[in-house]
Amino acid sequence: MARAGVIDEYLTSLDRRLRGPEQVKDDLLAEARDSLDDAAAAHAAGGLDAEEAQRRAVAEFGPVTLIARDYQGLLALAHGVRTLWTVILVLPLAHVLWELNRSFWIGSWSAFDHAGPPPAWYLAIARANDSAGWVVAGAALCALPVGRLLARRGTSAVTLARLAGAVAGVAIGVNLVATLAITVATAHVDLGRLLTSPPVAAATAVSLAVMARLAVLARRCLVFAAG
Amino acid sequence: MKSDALRGHLDGLLLATLDGGQLHGYAIIEALQLRSGGALDLPTGTVYPALRRLETAGLVASEWSTVGGRRRRTYRLTKAGHRALAAERTAWREFTTAIEGVLGGGPWPAQA
Repeated sequence: MARAGVIDEYLTSLDRRLRGPEQVKDDLLAEARDSLDDAAAAHAAGGLDAEEAQRRAVAEFGPVTLIARDYQGLLALAHGVRTLWTVILVLPLAHVLWELNRSFWIGSWSAFDHAGPPPAWYLAIARANDSAGWVVAGAALCALPVGRLLARRGTSAVTLARLAGAVAGVAIGVNLVATLAITVATAHVDLGRLLTSPPVAAATAVSLAVMARLAVLARRCLVFAAG
Repeated sequence: MKSDALRGHLDGLLLATLDGGQLHGYAIIEALQLRSGGALDLPTGTVYPALRRLETAGLVASEWSTVGGRRRRTYRLTKAGHRALAAERTAWREFTTAIEGVLGGGPWPAQA
């Protein structure tokens, strides 16, 4: 079994050191195996026995700790790009679904205006909350071509992954603050608006849960980038 | 040749190996070794992350395809990659011309 063992052991050791999207990891490891098999075949054709050919191929590939560091950077970057796309798609979608849910169960906000229109500061917070999801999704969308530009200038995958995590984290944080601000402001102006419709209250709870999940994804960008 | 000295030029070297058409990873490594006369002793495992980073940068594109009866990930230059390679070559020629003028050992220009 020594014939398959040396390359297998190396790849198992590499696999154990890597964390990140499984599909990307499997793809990287499959390509590494191809390369090691090719190199071992070339050395075997040059006269080495099978096990020595594999040892030579593994030695040429590089120390597993060094290679794992480079591969881990790629995995962190892949996770970062996915997280940014998730922010871009999910935050606006969550806002639209919340508004549709609200309009179905409550109707127009003017239904609450029997006690007089809300104060100007409340309307300002409401407008900020309405646009927050779109603004942060736009910022995340802009981060993608900026990241590509930085990659062309030689910025490392680890640094790019950290930047993606930072952008996603700030985007989620801004959206979370906007959601909490409008919730607290609504409770202050008219607590009934929050309690009148359990489905709308449930939708708000779901939105907060989605943001918490996104925050976990953003944090993982930094965790994966740390190796 | 030391790998540290190569790292700064690795992107340009990888782009240059793909100038003639698409190649899979091990063929790129072979091309690097062949064209350098075996002087490039970079750990071959570092080539793949570098290729993926170039892909992130939009300078190369890759896909799994069947080569010689085996499935392999092959890489090719994008239009942006061709432009980047041309820029790398221009910068390299300017650099080597300047260094050659000083280190090359030719006669110094007469002092004014």
